[in-house]
Amino acid sequence: MKTQTVLIVEDDAWLAEQQIRILEKNGYNAVSSPHAIAAIEAVDDEHPDVIILDVLLTGSTGFALLHELQSHTDIAGIPIILCTNLASDMKLDDLKPYGVKRILDKTTMEPSDVVAAVRSVLL
Amino acid sequence: MSVNRETHEQLVGGILQDGLPSLIAAAHELKAPLALVRQLSLMLEAGDLTSDEQKRMLEQITLTSERALRLTSDLTRSTRLTDALFELEPINPQELCKDIVRDLTPLFAAHGRDVRLVPRKHPLLLVANRDLLRRIILNFSDNALHYADANSVVRIQIQAFRGGQTIRLGVRDFGPALSSDMWKSLKTKLTNAPQPVHARPQSSGLGLYIASQFAEAMNGTIGVTRHRDGATFYVDLHASEQLSLL
Repeated sequence: MKTQTVLIVEDDAWLAEQQIRILEKNGYNAVSSPHAIAAIEAVDDEHPDVIILDVLLTGSTGFALLHELQSHTDIAGIPIILCTNLASDMKLDDLKPYGVKRILDKTTMEPSDVVAAVRSVLL
Repeated sequence: MSVNRETHEQLVGGILQDGLPSLIAAAHELKAPLALVRQLSLMLEAGDLTSDEQKRMLEQITLTSERALRLTSDLTRSTRLTDALFELEPINPQELCKDIVRDLTPLFAAHGRDVRLVPRKHPLLLVANRDLLRRIILNFSDNALHYADANSVVRIQIQAFRGGQTIRLGVRDFGPALSSDMWKSLKTKLTNAPQPVHARPQSSGLGLYIASQFAEAMNGTIGVTRHRDGATFYVDLHASEQLSLL
């Protein structure tokens, strides 16, 4: 069975490092991009099965990337998990049209929540 | 999406409240390091780590905490600028920047980056408060660390302008370029700032606002130059007339 790939778009390198570590331990192939431009390249190169996306990124926000992803029919279906400090200000229903399946709150989440969220959107 | 836009506007635009940094901007800036420290602590608690991984995480916790503490300390200082006296004195910026580079090197190394002072042959003297100037350069350096590409070098430069009357200390990073549209949008968002200096999207701009307050207390100004491959944030201060005595 093909190993599923998770793209983490996160400009905090140390947080991305931890998320990669825990996802790899749970059998996923995980790669990270520090900003939206690199993320678009990574989507083309890695063909991720799921994207974990921070909102406040270097260069442009995660919302700009959401719009970009939605504008390409071949990648618009990739499930998105938002992982952000702004989770308490967001409603999942508002973001579903942009492919967002789950929202993780960085300020309250457990490290293993990333794995649980990835599993749930890939079911 | 309107909720999110409003939230972002609130965070970016609402830096000031009664002339002081707003609680929401301060809270936003502190959330990221606190959330990271929490995640790292939970990872350590969960165990299943090699001793090298544990050591690295502990170092990351220490360095992240120090950055957050610098911000809280700057915030406290900025709210007391109006009722405090700050002694201005002639300062050799090269020596000050050497100390800063020495202090920041472990933090940059832990992020896989480097910080260096571009050396000057001829010494310069400027008029400043040592503590405030140090805080400004640390602030710019923290900003540069966040935006600099992996394995890149952040450069601290000292230059003289206007026939040597103005000394500029700049922190140059090499990172993703911002489009012109984005740059204009940022300028609009940060109209609250008393000086035309603008944060980048991830930031609320609070750190730069504090830096601008510190510069103003020393009769100086801060500014930013956009490059194709990054940015230079700088502070301009008056040169000391004692330079002629050197």
